[in-house]
Amino acid sequence: MSSKTPSADDIVRPMQSTQRWYYIVFGIASLLALGWFGLWSIQLQRGLAVTNLADWGSAGGVTWGLYIGAFIWWVGIAHGGIILSAAVRLFGMKRYLPVARLAELLTIGALSMAGFYIMIHLGRPDRMAWSVIQAYPVTVHQSPLVWDVTVITMYMVMTLTYLGLTVRYDINRLRDDLPSYLEPVYKMATLGYSEKEDEVIERIVWWLALGVIVMAPLLLHGGVIPWLFALLPSMPGWQGAIQGPQFLTIALTSAIAGVIILALVLRRAYDWYHILTDDIIRGLTLWLGLFSLLFIWLQLQQVITGVYAAPLDQRAFAHAKIANPYYQFAIGVVLIALAYIFAQAVKPHVFSVRRSLAASFMVLAGTLTEKVLFVFEGLEYPTFDMYYNVPGHYFPSPIEIGSLVGTIALCTLFFLVILKVIPVVELHAIEELRGEGHAPAEGDD
Amino acid sequence: MSRDDDSCGHGSCGCGDDEPADESFHPLGEDHEDEMREMLDDTEYDTELGMDMAEDAMKLIQGEISEAEFHEKYNEAVVEEFDVDDRPTVEAFEEAKAEENESIFQKLTGDGSVAEKLSNVDTEMNQSRRDTMKKMGAGAAALGLGGVASAQSSGDPKDEEYGAEPVGDTSEEGTQLGMVIDLNRCDGCLECVTGCIEENQTSTGANWMYVLTYEDDNTDQENFLVRPCQHCTNAPCEKVCPVRARHTRDKDGIVLTNYETCIGCRYCQVACPYGVNYFQWGEPDVPYEDLPGSENDYEELKQMPDDERHEQLVETNDHIHDDRGQWSDMRPPQGVMGKCTYCPSRQDGHQGEEKVGTVACMEACDAAGMSAIHFGDMNDPESRPQQYLRQRAEQEFERDTELDNGEEWGDTVTPWGKLSAFQLLEDLGTQPNVVYLGNEPGPDAEQVEGPVTYEQIGADDNRKEHLNQFTFGTGDD
Repeated sequence: MSSKTPSADDIVRPMQSTQRWYYIVFGIASLLALGWFGLWSIQLQRGLAVTNLADWGSAGGVTWGLYIGAFIWWVGIAHGGIILSAAVRLFGMKRYLPVARLAELLTIGALSMAGFYIMIHLGRPDRMAWSVIQAYPVTVHQSPLVWDVTVITMYMVMTLTYLGLTVRYDINRLRDDLPSYLEPVYKMATLGYSEKEDEVIERIVWWLALGVIVMAPLLLHGGVIPWLFALLPSMPGWQGAIQGPQFLTIALTSAIAGVIILALVLRRAYDWYHILTDDIIRGLTLWLGLFSLLFIWLQLQQVITGVYAAPLDQRAFAHAKIANPYYQFAIGVVLIALAYIFAQAVKPHVFSVRRSLAASFMVLAGTLTEKVLFVFEGLEYPTFDMYYNVPGHYFPSPIEIGSLVGTIALCTLFFLVILKVIPVVELHAIEELRGEGHAPAEGDD
Repeated sequence: MSRDDDSCGHGSCGCGDDEPADESFHPLGEDHEDEMREMLDDTEYDTELGMDMAEDAMKLIQGEISEAEFHEKYNEAVVEEFDVDDRPTVEAFEEAKAEENESIFQKLTGDGSVAEKLSNVDTEMNQSRRDTMKKMGAGAAALGLGGVASAQSSGDPKDEEYGAEPVGDTSEEGTQLGMVIDLNRCDGCLECVTGCIEENQTSTGANWMYVLTYEDDNTDQENFLVRPCQHCTNAPCEKVCPVRARHTRDKDGIVLTNYETCIGCRYCQVACPYGVNYFQWGEPDVPYEDLPGSENDYEELKQMPDDERHEQLVETNDHIHDDRGQWSDMRPPQGVMGKCTYCPSRQDGHQGEEKVGTVACMEACDAAGMSAIHFGDMNDPESRPQQYLRQRAEQEFERDTELDNGEEWGDTVTPWGKLSAFQLLEDLGTQPNVVYLGNEPGPDAEQVEGPVTYEQIGADDNRKEHLNQFTFGTGDD
């Protein structure tokens, strides 16, 4: 713990000096990413036959698997991130201002990975752009997959706008401390800046935040993404109204876990203990607990309604689900995390950042497992189940698992690069912290 | 009109909709009229009388003359020719009007009517529709059987739902290719599966046509379910496709995949409740160059005028493009979705006129002497599937009345009601265009090994196992 006063120098430090760990992490992440690109090129050449995917029905496989599961997971983190950041601005949760930009950046990184997963998943990625655009005027009326691409694009644009607007303030004021070789970038970013715009930008950003919060349940992880599954009557594990709330809570759970991890890593790397304080981590841990609880609650709803007196196809799925060891793992780790969070809420001395970090990793592993399982298990138990080879079988192949490593490495690279370009903690946050002395304001949330 | 009519679909019998100068009274055109005349000539009855009655029957449908007038006009002649006039009388007509629920089909099949005569017809499967029509004789022609049924039943409440008529609405406009599959005739020989694989050169395990032998708790007998693509009118696969590669062809309502634009997202496979889609996970077993028509380029084809393109496709015996010049027949290329196509290049005449109106699986099934699959226009009362349905309905009724004499034909019992017909997963609202006759699999139905295994026909049942060898890192490489 530090009693230092937060200053502008703190947030430009990543751009001024580069430590050894940076090179090491950069090297490892690059290697992993390159390794993944190598694997992907094999898939592009030989086709998706290199995965463990197959046709459902007479063929005994599932046609969607880890790629789609990981896609939802990344989109979830992305959507959760922007919701978190929007909530900070909209509800004046100033305590969390220091992590707001981290959440936005996480959104951009994670959303890019989600987009990349769409490409990885396709049989003919070369046709993606042209085929989709050509048919767009018609398909946008009926295909959930097109809605999906639409909202992902929309949120990418919104988040970039969001970031682009808020970063002008910082760059203008910190320009002298920023690396000179990036001058053209900063020039572009602050084009036409004048201090008079600050107030206007703040209002625009507030409206953007409102848009994000309102649209989250309608179009983001509470809407379009779950509709990809919930609207199909042929797969009882997917169909139904609970998917919207379920997806949204998982998104928020994953995003908060992601932000906790990021914050803890960065504060250690740049000695930001006085900016990304224990207090923030404590608060985020509580939020993680709340959304984990919602996640468990909605799972319970599905299991109970599935096993009691559901129609046969739903019953078969629900029984298979609770008997699946991966499902038990997913629920188990979230329950353990919840137990810790509850304990530290009751007895504050139980809290430690290491435990919160562990809880975050467990929750992320749990949500990833649940999401991948949701996708392939749903396809293993279709309504039309009289085939010999139903339920089908699936376990991710090395290339599929490699994609996870690859995308996590790419997302890490994204952060390593962005650390060198813009301050990942807002100047506003520093001003806020200074204005109120060392101790951040006690929870207005 | 000396062609063998057995294979007559909509296209080859000249009953198309493209004859503007046609003076015929019959909605199906002059050719059809000639065909009827020819059939009447073959009978012992008066051809001219039959034709006149048929013409007036059409007027009757149009409402130009009343049923009473129609009855009166021919009463004498009919009695003279047939010794009896069994047509619905004026009184019967008025009575029928009072009863709103009664359909024209019931009238047709009323006591001592055409249908009863029909029920004596030999329904051996190898007999052609033409033979049947001959035996139907003047009566059928006079009442313009198909025409009357379809034209008048359109406003009939009983046609509004699938419940009463097993094939749905035959009064629908346009062609809708589909199938009637008689599961009672299937013996699980898998000839249709072989026929499909040979026709389409699909890769190992991609069994576009698939037959499930299954056991059901409710019955002890061995049951079969023949499962091609259902070519749904409300196809979920088409609805979800993000690029419109999966689409319904306007011309004949078949559901195809455009291999040129499909991005391989496999959402169609996810959305289809029947599991009929088979993705091309890797390199196809049969190289593109070996497919008939591979020398044609779809982009060039699309730029040609329709006639020229058709000529080119016929000349080259093209098997992979349809008449629009679109690549959507035979096995798909790598990374693209495939499924049963209803053989579009056959329907478009690229395999020769004799193949129009046929599909490879039906051909194989007929050749095996089973004739369980009946392919054709589901909206055309004269098509092979519709004729077969009628035939079976009457057959079933015949059998039933022998058992229970208390029942009255056309009174409380309808021929459709006697048919054990169903559509697969009908309640999902997909509006499939395959109608099954026979037992519907119950909720506990489980596939079992059939009398002929997939191994025996050299096909692969579990494609997943086959694909495992290509899995990188755990496969053979």
